[in-house]
Amino acid sequence: MPGPVESSKKRKSSKTAGAPSKRRAVAEDDFAETLSTIEKLENEIAESRKHYNNIATLISMLNVQKSAKNPELAVAVSLCRVFSRLMAAGNFAESSRAAENEKIVTAWLKERCLEYQRALLSIIREADTTSQITALTLSMRIIKERITHIPGAENAVWSTNFKAIVEAVIEAQDNQDLQSELVNKFMKEFEDVRYHAFGQIAEYAAIRRRSDVLDSLISILSACDDVPGDDHKFENFFATPGSQNKRLTSVNSHKKRAQEAWLAILRNNLSQAQRKSLLRIMVHHIEPWFSRPELLMDFLTDSYNVGGATSLLALSGLFYLIQEKNLDYPQFYTKLYSLLDADLLHSKHRSRFFRLLNTFLASTHLPAALIASFVKRLARLALNAPPSAIVVIVPFMYNIFKNHPTCSFMMHREIRDKELAAEIEAEGMDDPFDPLEEDPTRTGAIESCLWEIVTLQSHYHPNVASIARIISEQFTKQQYNLEDFLDHTYQGMVEAELGSGEKPLRKVPVVEYQIPKRIFTDRLLEEDGGVDSGPASFMRGLWDFS
Amino acid sequence: MPPSQLKQLKASLRDSGVVGPQQSKKQKRQNAKTGVTAQNRNQRNAALQAIRDRFNPFEIKVGTGRGKFDVTTRDGNSTGTVRERPGVTKSLGEERRRATLLKEMNTRNKVGGLVDRRFGENDPTMTPEERAAERFARESQKKMRKESMFNLEEDEDEFQLTHLGQSLSFDEANRDDFEMGDLKDDEEDDEEASRKRKRFMAEEGEDEDFIDNPEGEGLHERKKSKAEVMKEVIAKSKFYKAERQQAKEDDDDLRDELDKELPDLFEALRGMKAPAKPEPPKQDLDTMNPERAAMLQGPEKTDAEKEYDQRLKQLTFDKRSQPTDRTKTEEEKIEEEAERLKKLEEDRLKRMRGEHVSEDEEEESDKDSFMQDDEESDVDDAAAFGLPTTSYEPRPDMGVEDEDDFIIDDDLVETRSNVSLSVDESDMEEEELSDEDEAEESEQEDELINGMSLPAASATSTSVAASQSADGKLAFTYPCPGSHEEFLELIENVPIQDVSTVIQRIRALHHPRLHPDNKAKLGRFSEILIEHVSYMASEAENPSFALVENILRHVHSLAKTHPLNVATAFRAQLREISKERPLNLHAGDLAILTGISTVFPTSDHFHAVTTPAHLCLARFLGQCSANTLSDFATGAFATSLCLQYQTVAKRYMPELVNYVLNALSNLAPTEPTIKVGSFPYRKTQESVRLVASKKVTPRKLHFRDITASASESQAEEDLKISLVLTFVSLIDTASDLWAEKAAFTEIFTPARDILKDLKQAFKSKAYTAARDPIQSTLDKLASHLEKSRLARRPLLLHNHRPLAIKSAIPKFEENFNPDKHYDPDRERAESNRLKAEYKRERKGAMRELRKDASFVAREKLREKKERDAEYEKKYKRLVAEIQNEEGRAANEYEREKRGRQGKR
Repeated sequence: MPGPVESSKKRKSSKTAGAPSKRRAVAEDDFAETLSTIEKLENEIAESRKHYNNIATLISMLNVQKSAKNPELAVAVSLCRVFSRLMAAGNFAESSRAAENEKIVTAWLKERCLEYQRALLSIIREADTTSQITALTLSMRIIKERITHIPGAENAVWSTNFKAIVEAVIEAQDNQDLQSELVNKFMKEFEDVRYHAFGQIAEYAAIRRRSDVLDSLISILSACDDVPGDDHKFENFFATPGSQNKRLTSVNSHKKRAQEAWLAILRNNLSQAQRKSLLRIMVHHIEPWFSRPELLMDFLTDSYNVGGATSLLALSGLFYLIQEKNLDYPQFYTKLYSLLDADLLHSKHRSRFFRLLNTFLASTHLPAALIASFVKRLARLALNAPPSAIVVIVPFMYNIFKNHPTCSFMMHREIRDKELAAEIEAEGMDDPFDPLEEDPTRTGAIESCLWEIVTLQSHYHPNVASIARIISEQFTKQQYNLEDFLDHTYQGMVEAELGSGEKPLRKVPVVEYQIPKRIFTDRLLEEDGGVDSGPASFMRGLWDFS
Repeated sequence: MPPSQLKQLKASLRDSGVVGPQQSKKQKRQNAKTGVTAQNRNQRNAALQAIRDRFNPFEIKVGTGRGKFDVTTRDGNSTGTVRERPGVTKSLGEERRRATLLKEMNTRNKVGGLVDRRFGENDPTMTPEERAAERFARESQKKMRKESMFNLEEDEDEFQLTHLGQSLSFDEANRDDFEMGDLKDDEEDDEEASRKRKRFMAEEGEDEDFIDNPEGEGLHERKKSKAEVMKEVIAKSKFYKAERQQAKEDDDDLRDELDKELPDLFEALRGMKAPAKPEPPKQDLDTMNPERAAMLQGPEKTDAEKEYDQRLKQLTFDKRSQPTDRTKTEEEKIEEEAERLKKLEEDRLKRMRGEHVSEDEEEESDKDSFMQDDEESDVDDAAAFGLPTTSYEPRPDMGVEDEDDFIIDDDLVETRSNVSLSVDESDMEEEELSDEDEAEESEQEDELINGMSLPAASATSTSVAASQSADGKLAFTYPCPGSHEEFLELIENVPIQDVSTVIQRIRALHHPRLHPDNKAKLGRFSEILIEHVSYMASEAENPSFALVENILRHVHSLAKTHPLNVATAFRAQLREISKERPLNLHAGDLAILTGISTVFPTSDHFHAVTTPAHLCLARFLGQCSANTLSDFATGAFATSLCLQYQTVAKRYMPELVNYVLNALSNLAPTEPTIKVGSFPYRKTQESVRLVASKKVTPRKLHFRDITASASESQAEEDLKISLVLTFVSLIDTASDLWAEKAAFTEIFTPARDILKDLKQAFKSKAYTAARDPIQSTLDKLASHLEKSRLARRPLLLHNHRPLAIKSAIPKFEENFNPDKHYDPDRERAESNRLKAEYKRERKGAMRELRKDASFVAREKLREKKERDAEYEKKYKRLVAEIQNEEGRAANEYEREKRGRQGKR
């Protein structure tokens, strides 16, 4: 009987549908009820001073006494409105002429306001993301109101309240969104907020902090990367202060604040990873803030002396200082030479390094012995390098040889001295290059030859081999564009050979003409008299395939 | 002052002998008799014409190019003043037009006409008498040539009717009879005959007597002429020839008979009976051509004759047999094979050096594109070397400008497999022709297909397919699988040792000669086999390498006929490896890479399959992180594979050295004391160092080690020491391979240091077994290093001819000739020449056409004038006639009138 079944189903479904809606309705009712009470309390406060006690009620309704996990945001918003109104109405203004009881009311209000702000801070620290962001907005609102309506409160507000906010934001749990909110909505929008935030961060980072805290500091600071130009007019202010502060409108003071903040961070106990990430953004994000970049010198030289990848990264910053600020770095080339170690060509900063090296060695005034040392060292390294690195090294050398023709003896050296020639003919020779010598001007590389590159001319990869061959061909080309050779990888090379999808081959590949008798096993070994020779015998000798 | 015109004329007439002193009457008569006058006439006419021309000032036009200045640059030929004779040329042209164009004009719109072919009719140089004489001479000559078939005047005595090479002339009847008798004797005894034949050959002179004798008996009255004797000799030799032919045929018959009995003889020798022959032996006649047999058997003579006629007609239309190649002897075959192998090896070496193997294909334009680099600054330098461009836009694959791309010789592929690569139906005939060659190929294939007779296999119905396999016996026919899954299904119930038989049968059943589609099917099948190799090596617990080997050999043999399919499948595997697990090779991938090393030449400078395979291996060695022993085992396998790849070409692989040294430093019992210099040292996360307490025994590494991990610690230590020794032996081999490299010292000094270190570490008793190989490798390294030190010389890379500085001096040509073109560009010069010629020809043609047109117009005008004049004349005549008549009539009228008046 289909009819009744259907009807029962319907009934059921209607029932099931009814329950949650009711529940929802109940929740809505509750919510509406609270909203109406909040509204009522708020209105009463606005109506007369009698109901000021409602403020205390509302604060208690905030639900942040024990933990600020689930705050009542509606209450917070309404409280914000209440305090703003009160401030606008001048209820917070202290005047000596006011009556005693007035003073008591004002003091009480101030206390409540502080209580409210503390509550907001605890929300920022503990609650979930939406509440945090709301709390942040509300606290900033309060700050704004206070600065606008209470004369003379500016300095105190920035140095106490804002400081507390910044700290709370930095220390807050799960603070990614909160930080970006602070940065995007306030620090980037309003220049005075940024100014003060820099100051607070500098102060905050003056003492040693945990590394995750430092991480968030770094991310906040590096997010503020639009450095004001020299003739920048400061117009976007969060709170229009009564007296136009001189410091707030000068570029220098802004830069000084940022510089201080950065320096505080750089002096903190940074982890290796943080140091590297700082070095990576050094030139583009940090140095522009510095009116006195030489302050970075310590950091950079320290990093440069660490060795390895950190040194590589410090190079660019150091180079910036040398170039722009006339920094005198003793033994720069010795240090640079020492960077050419076994790991360099395998590191992922390889192309970055080669770009810089290209700049450092571009000068034609450098001594040939030094250049030769670099060339020879690179050649040595190329013997153990991946193809993508060899592909850079050889054109790089070509360019160097073009610029420093004295070095081309490394490719072509005729021995005119008869005796010496006879000696070499009889006894062969050692490489005059001393790989252990640290001073690039004394390695004797200029007396050496590039046997390494000649060996690489028989590299297994045909393209690499043909690139290595440019060393022994006529130098007709003016320069190779190094940029074209820099960013190759195994993946790219394999893809270049294989293509991403199957396309018909242009040419029929050659097939080995002889089918081997055996590949893995000792098949038909007796036929050859038991001696295993022929293709793949090497593998069979080493491996057991039974 | 020159003399007057008249005087000049007189002088020239006298000079040319036109006018001379008056001749006497007697002289004149004499001359007339001898015909001197007639002789002289032509001469005189010519002289007169010349004089006329000379004295007509308008006949000669001195050209404008009368040499303004004598300049050195003018070549001598053109300096002479040009004398044109416009009148002459004009009249010549006019004449020619009259002869051709006018005729054409007159015959236009007309059909038919007469062509006068009489000899000398239109030759103005002949007099009528001469013409007649010439015609008579021709006529008589024609008669003399005996061409006419009706010419009965010929005496024909050179031809003679013969039968069996004997003259049928009746006057020698006696001799014929005698000869016939002699013949019969010969036929009875072959040997006798042959002896006689020999004698005949040897002593012809005697034979002549032998012929002479009977004649002497028969006809005494006349001595024979030389010609007759010769004729007889010829007849004789023809007769013997026929006889020899007969004898040979008999021999052949006899031999045939013997051949037929040979199998029986063999059976008798073997002492066993052969299976019953397909057909019972028949009569002798059966072996003959059936028609001929029928003819022999057929009683009716007329039928046979008819048959004969028919056959004869057929034979006349038969194609002549073509000369075939001589069957080669065994030595020649071996020699040829050796030659072929040598050539293939040479080709391989060429490819190894990266040279172009074949010249027939156009050289690619890479050279050009490379040259253009200098001009276009924005061209990617790296792209010139075939490196992928690093720009982010999607780039064309396969590096089009790959300089090292070499052209693959098609012949190389074809030599073994005569199936041309682009086979379509039309090629099938060709294939049939090349069956013989294929037989040679199939000899090789036989080993793989095991000589299953193809047609027999195809004859069995395919419906029996899988049903029989259930009985435990293998089916004889299998469908060609279209995917790997199908193949797996197919061999699901087949025991592993029989899989190769299945593959054999599939290949035999789908031989491309059996069906045109089979080629594609087998191509697909080869791809499946490659998939299966990977599948088997990675899926199976303990793969049977005998089978993998067998399959790889099948793939190899298929690759000869389907190189594209096989290469594509291998490349697909490589692509999968490089996309999904570039740093974590499976056992299956290793099997594939091993397969590549056997199927394709790994020594090639560039190869569509082996180059990416190299890259895959190198990438694995260069970037993989080795942490466990099985990782190291994989690495060891990959390393040994690399060395095997480079056995011939001996190319250098930096990653290999790095990997081996790194592995050794990680496996050594102690941390390396020396500072590891040149290669990046990567420590494993957990120590895999040897910690031997007991004696460890190195063993040969097993493929299993790649996947399985050792269970107990002793086995683990054993594996470690075996790995160490394998790596040491790899260094050993590598040092042999690269002993000639210029930087051998730099490459292997670190290796030597590490080995020394290792030797130090192996002092403990537990490692006694490992010390010797390390020491021997160290010794070898030391000797190689010493050699390389001795061989080291300063580099002399730039012994190039110095490049000339671009010169700005204009090219100066000695002996410059303005008429010559000094265009260095051959093609341009040629085209300019052609253009000039075209222009000249065009101008000439236009001039001619213009002249033709004016000639036609002139002719038409002339005709019209003629017609008009005629008309006018006629008109006038008519008018005059009429006037005449009218006048007469008027007169008559007048007369009549006057008469009437007079009457009145």
